[in-house]
Amino acid sequence: MGITRPRTYDRLETRAALLFLAPAFLLLVLFVFFPMFRALWISFQYYNLINNASAEWIGLDNYRNLLQDESFRASLFHSFYFAAVVIPVQTAIALGLALLVRGKFKGVGFFRTVYFLPVVVSFAVASTVFRLIYNKDYGMLNAILKGFGLPPVDFLSSPKIAMIGIIILCIWKAMGFFMVVFLAGLNNIPQELYEAAEVDGAGRVHRFFRITLPLLKRTMAFVVIITTMDALKIFVPVFVTTSGGPAGATSTVVFYVYETAFKQMNLGYASAAAFLFFCIVLVISIIQLRMFRSDVEY
Amino acid sequence: MSKANRTGVAIVRLVFMSALAAVVLLPVFWMVMSSLRTHEEIFKYTRLGWHMFFPAHWTLENYIEIFADASKPFGRYMLNTLLVAASVTALGLIVNSLAAFAFAKLRFPFKRALLALFLSSLVIPYEAIMIPQYLLVRELGWINSFKALIVPQIVWVFGIFLLVQFFAEVPRAILEAARMDGAGWIRIYASIMLPSAVPALITLGVITFLNQWDAFLWPLVVINEEKKQVIQVAIASFSSLRGISWGKIMAAASVSTLPIVAVFLFLQRYYVQGIIMSGVKG
Repeated sequence: MGITRPRTYDRLETRAALLFLAPAFLLLVLFVFFPMFRALWISFQYYNLINNASAEWIGLDNYRNLLQDESFRASLFHSFYFAAVVIPVQTAIALGLALLVRGKFKGVGFFRTVYFLPVVVSFAVASTVFRLIYNKDYGMLNAILKGFGLPPVDFLSSPKIAMIGIIILCIWKAMGFFMVVFLAGLNNIPQELYEAAEVDGAGRVHRFFRITLPLLKRTMAFVVIITTMDALKIFVPVFVTTSGGPAGATSTVVFYVYETAFKQMNLGYASAAAFLFFCIVLVISIIQLRMFRSDVEY
Repeated sequence: MSKANRTGVAIVRLVFMSALAAVVLLPVFWMVMSSLRTHEEIFKYTRLGWHMFFPAHWTLENYIEIFADASKPFGRYMLNTLLVAASVTALGLIVNSLAAFAFAKLRFPFKRALLALFLSSLVIPYEAIMIPQYLLVRELGWINSFKALIVPQIVWVFGIFLLVQFFAEVPRAILEAARMDGAGWIRIYASIMLPSAVPALITLGVITFLNQWDAFLWPLVVINEEKKQVIQVAIASFSSLRGISWGKIMAAASVSTLPIVAVFLFLQRYYVQGIIMSGVKG
């Protein structure tokens, strides 16, 4: 892109460029930037579509109430709990898979495709299928547990483990995606480094921690940041499998925003929640970027 | 490592990978098998055994029923989704590639500022603007209209920057030469830039299409009319109906998934390429 900046611009070229950018620009302003400002604006209002679309300026009241709101705080906690489990576990599994299918051997393409396949299955379908698999009375999982002489587990009806059920489903669906990202990162590591290390007598474990992991830092940063954002925004599996239940135990922030905005039609309050959440996600992303950047050389 | 040792490791690895593959595939396999069972059978075989995994009586009944049921027009949902996904993909490719061309190759004032503005939108998560977007669509009178599903989804800044990387590789000299020959910028875009980026366009097209096929939250919010609904929401609402047969739900899930899997297997290379580009450059 423009490294040398010409002093004068070709008039026709400028016109063409602005013409080419216009559709994307207008759509972006109308459907992204304008809504962003409006979200902030509405969040200072009492704005309920049920009460005759009344809008009333109430300043910071929505934010103040949110901080006291038990169910909002619980949903924040659930989102963070979900992310705190998914980020390390899913990243480790994805890296493990990438290491497994890294080499060139017969059938490796088949395994790559199979491990990636769940990524193509939609979240709605995956959630629906797992709901049946988890079913206490006729689900496959409990049949297998029974087959091994274990007691049946009601995965989605117990507040303590319902979230774990959702976590397993999400990891199943997303691990293949990050496996491919790691695979690309692994392929960027020069093979000579491993050969040299082997000559020096470095074992597998040693090579992994001294060569693979440090050189994967950039890829790792990408994976962790994307996983964090995805995990904090989790919605569809919650909506389809548990509807936030049992007893609100799986209600995440986006689920809370959805319910508040589109079930109770309380748009101002929901906007404040969404905006607060957006700020939290942004701060976390920035912190993560800093952390990964501090000791990586580009 | 000795040769025998190496073979041993390879066999252990193969067994482990096969077992893992079976676990990964099991939910999809279970979905298809359940869709081929009769209603009674799903509740009957709940013990570990052959019929836990394979139907005792194979039947296509569930598939016939979901397409025949007029109150839940499944074929209609699929067509709706196909129409929306294809429109967003086609319009998105045009709009985003035009913008990408301008950013990658053209010289114009305020380029850096515009670029920064476009990039800044990547920080905004869709969930944060969902509510005002809904209000806007409502004011435009687009609720229960496909316009609501298509128009806001066209511009995709991530896609623009994916294409910018490809367009940047085309030497400016070629464009200058075409200019000398009297070609306008639109001609240059259509006959030089687009053909040079076909793999990137396929990549972007496949990703857009799959994203749209999977769309859930936005259609859930803006479409309330039964006949206009898209497939993912339809499947989810299927499964929350009381007394509906699981066989039918699994048939619906299978029908909506298998074409996508087929498309993916054909275009896998492009799809994976897109992930790699976003990961390496991102």
